[in-house]
Amino acid sequence: MGDQEKAFGIKGLDKREDRPKGRPSVAVRLKQDQNARRAFSIIAVLPVFLIAIITVALVVRAWPIIGTHTLKDTVFGVVWKPEQGSFGFWPFITGTAWVTAVAMLLAILPCLLVSLYLSEYAHSAMRSAAKPVLDLLAAIPPVVYGVWGLLAIVPFVQNTLEPFSKRWLKGIPILAVNQPTGFGILAGGIVLAVMVAPFIISVLYEIFSTVPDDLRHASLAVGATRWQTIRNVVIPKVLPGIVAGIVLGASRALGETIAVLMVVGNVVKVPTSVFDAAYPLPALIANNYGDMMSIPLYDAALLGAALVLLVVILIFNVISTLVLQRLLGRRWT
Amino acid sequence: MIRRRWTRSRLAEAVAKGLMIASFVVVTGSLGLILWTVIVRGLPALTWDMISQSPKGGYYMGKAGGVLNAIIGSLYLAGGGTLLALIVGLPMALYLETYLGDSEWGRYVRLSLDVLWGIPSIVYGAFGFTLMLAIGLRASLLAGIIVLALLELPIMVRAMDEVIRLMPLDLEQAALALGSTKLEVALRVVTRQMLPGIVTAILLGFGRGIGDAASVLFTAGYTDRIPTSLLRPTASLPLAVFFQLATPYPAVQERGYASALILTIIVLIISLGSRLISGRLNRYTIK
Amino acid sequence: MWTKTSLLFSISIAFSLLLSACGGAAVSPQGQAPAAGTDQLNGTITVSGAFALYPMMTVWADEFTKLHPAVQFDVQGGGAGKGMTDTLAGAVDIGMISRTIKPAEEAQGAFWIAVAKDAVFPIVSAKNPMLAELTAKGMSQETFKKIFVTGEIKTWGQVIGKPEATDEIHVYTRSDSCGAADQWALFSGGKAQADLLGIGVNGEPALVDTVGKDPLGIGYSNLNSVFDSSTGKTVPGAVVPPMDINGNGTVEANEYYQTTDEAVKVVADGTYPSPPARFENLATKGKPKGIVLAFLNWILTDGQQSLEQAGYVKLTAAQQAESLAKLK
Repeated sequence: MGDQEKAFGIKGLDKREDRPKGRPSVAVRLKQDQNARRAFSIIAVLPVFLIAIITVALVVRAWPIIGTHTLKDTVFGVVWKPEQGSFGFWPFITGTAWVTAVAMLLAILPCLLVSLYLSEYAHSAMRSAAKPVLDLLAAIPPVVYGVWGLLAIVPFVQNTLEPFSKRWLKGIPILAVNQPTGFGILAGGIVLAVMVAPFIISVLYEIFSTVPDDLRHASLAVGATRWQTIRNVVIPKVLPGIVAGIVLGASRALGETIAVLMVVGNVVKVPTSVFDAAYPLPALIANNYGDMMSIPLYDAALLGAALVLLVVILIFNVISTLVLQRLLGRRWT
Repeated sequence: MIRRRWTRSRLAEAVAKGLMIASFVVVTGSLGLILWTVIVRGLPALTWDMISQSPKGGYYMGKAGGVLNAIIGSLYLAGGGTLLALIVGLPMALYLETYLGDSEWGRYVRLSLDVLWGIPSIVYGAFGFTLMLAIGLRASLLAGIIVLALLELPIMVRAMDEVIRLMPLDLEQAALALGSTKLEVALRVVTRQMLPGIVTAILLGFGRGIGDAASVLFTAGYTDRIPTSLLRPTASLPLAVFFQLATPYPAVQERGYASALILTIIVLIISLGSRLISGRLNRYTIK
Repeated sequence: MWTKTSLLFSISIAFSLLLSACGGAAVSPQGQAPAAGTDQLNGTITVSGAFALYPMMTVWADEFTKLHPAVQFDVQGGGAGKGMTDTLAGAVDIGMISRTIKPAEEAQGAFWIAVAKDAVFPIVSAKNPMLAELTAKGMSQETFKKIFVTGEIKTWGQVIGKPEATDEIHVYTRSDSCGAADQWALFSGGKAQADLLGIGVNGEPALVDTVGKDPLGIGYSNLNSVFDSSTGKTVPGAVVPPMDINGNGTVEANEYYQTTDEAVKVVADGTYPSPPARFENLATKGKPKGIVLAFLNWILTDGQQSLEQAGYVKLTAAQQAESLAKLK
């Protein structure tokens, strides 16, 4: 019995003349399908395990410091002197929080407005013109953003914003100018805001696109202006999505390393003003990786910092992704 | 009374629209600003030597040489990483759509991919570093390629998945009706149909990989020579920019700006190129 | 499918072109062919370590390759810590260490020689309102201690002895981990970089730039960041305040440095204190042999010529001899 007959249990199959020459038999093809299925299935479920593997690897490497130092000394500790065994991460955690907060505060309103404009007002010519611009902004490498920050933003902060704040906004502690360099949280926040803007705009745009036009037409039909429609119909309908999009943008801002590193000042200090220099967690890891293996526990500390970053970003990501998946039905670009 | 309400809401509308347009101008304007700054500062220092020579001795003090080592290194890194990500990602995307579809596992995998997409490159770099230590690999082209592949994988799979989903169901069903196995449908029909998507995904991943510094910082090392072996460290453009800017010599810093310009030009070419190519390749798909 | 094939085809052509281009570049000899029968040195020497020595190492590597075209170099930065770690782990042949080698490292097999001298100088802005008085009076080590470590001196008035002048001193230090900061800390009575007060600026060029722009600023940096090797003078904007090294309250001729030559001279002859002058060391795991030994020998003899051009300080004859003796 030939293999065709074996596969199907029907006699005479192998003698069929109309099978194209060189084409493998059905049984072979089915076998190939099965093998591929098995191989690909292993590949396909890789992403799920990859997240776990990355997290576990970082935990394992950071374990020495988790075991020997209390939470109070590490997460909330203010003293960072690795040679003496003090690994207080608080200045870095607050540094990260401040830069991200400034970036988001600067970015939310413009991004919201731009995505509303694109979704509610703009005609398709404008939209197709905006898409390449946003794609390009998103494609520019972080190091180029850093160079732009160095050349354009830091001098701007130093020569324009700081004197302005010193002169007119003297009393406000959060705007106090404690150091004259222009490197600092504000510079980092501005650069970061521009970096995450294209991402937030496209997410928000997708969200607004899910609102059915009927709703808008109904609102306009009863006499509302387009802005009133936006405020009272569109936005409330997708408010969770907007929040999720912003949270997702914040998680991107949290992790950005190179561009922020080049303009934020990199000083170990708990910030008290937006003009202060700060030292975000990613910058800490990037700046000191060279010394990692030469000071005891330094590698555990730095990889522990990476772990903290990962955990926070995972939490932000998973929650907002779930919200967005539910709203959008499919995924967004 | 009614008239007053009318004007108030119209005023609000005008103000809102004004703010929107202002924001739009600011956001699109920043692209122009960034490109302008990089071009103005980088162009003067962009000489033929910069792109045709590796650093000679004394380069970091202002003497002769260029960043060819970094250009080639980056192309190798991103090329290798994208290739590796494609080899793993294409089957992943095909399997996701053909076999998993909207099943429970499918949703888990897609969620994981989205989460992986959001993990910053510094974490991938840190993970790559621990991996390197664990398997005894030194800072090298290979290590950089592996980490970049990890970084690019979620981006590419998402892009390919998007395109596969848009494929008309009729095509798949017609092929199955004619007696194809699911594998054959995947390999012959789907791949062909999503060719523009694959190319877009490749270019998207490549563009991301070539510009990333945080992940190669730990894993690819740096060298002044053009890499000739997978197990040797390699230079990369983002790190070249970074290191040149860190020297105290203004001439070298200017060359850092020129290197940033080179990187930007490469990324622009890829970004614009991907639009053109996917437009062209759409000829071969069935709508 | 012909587009797929043509795409693959063009990619592979491009790749092979690239490979051949770079393959050619890597193999092409640098400089002339060696005299017949004299050169048997070949191989690759890998180096990593302090950024302070990095530019110099690339110069040395280039010149050594000109003499011995079959020897190739792979030089990386990464910091002194990385250099030591890599050397002890056998990942590189030579580590560039811009600080003294610790006993613990020697116990693990580190062998080192001094190959150059380097120094950290204090800098103030050329626009400092009290520059004239500073120049007359000079700044002593004790003054630096009170500015950079203890924080007792907070105004420029206190420095020159006129407490009524209340212009604050803006102290700047390096925020990134570096040898220069460690050296300055040791000089100023501290133990390590973390003991230095001041606003952290990342990277040496930024620090010099910041101090130059701030009339009330004070900072520190390496010789070749303060002194422009092409002009021979200090970089525009920054000056080195006279240092009252011997603490006698007046500024002598050898305590005020305005040109590269003056600075290099005082470091070479030892007038300038160490710290903040320091030896730049190269470390290997165990005693060096073969091409590494040849390279190190060359650095200590002919290689010394290139140092001053690059803004480093040559070893004195005695120091050279000492290092050479160690290598035997």
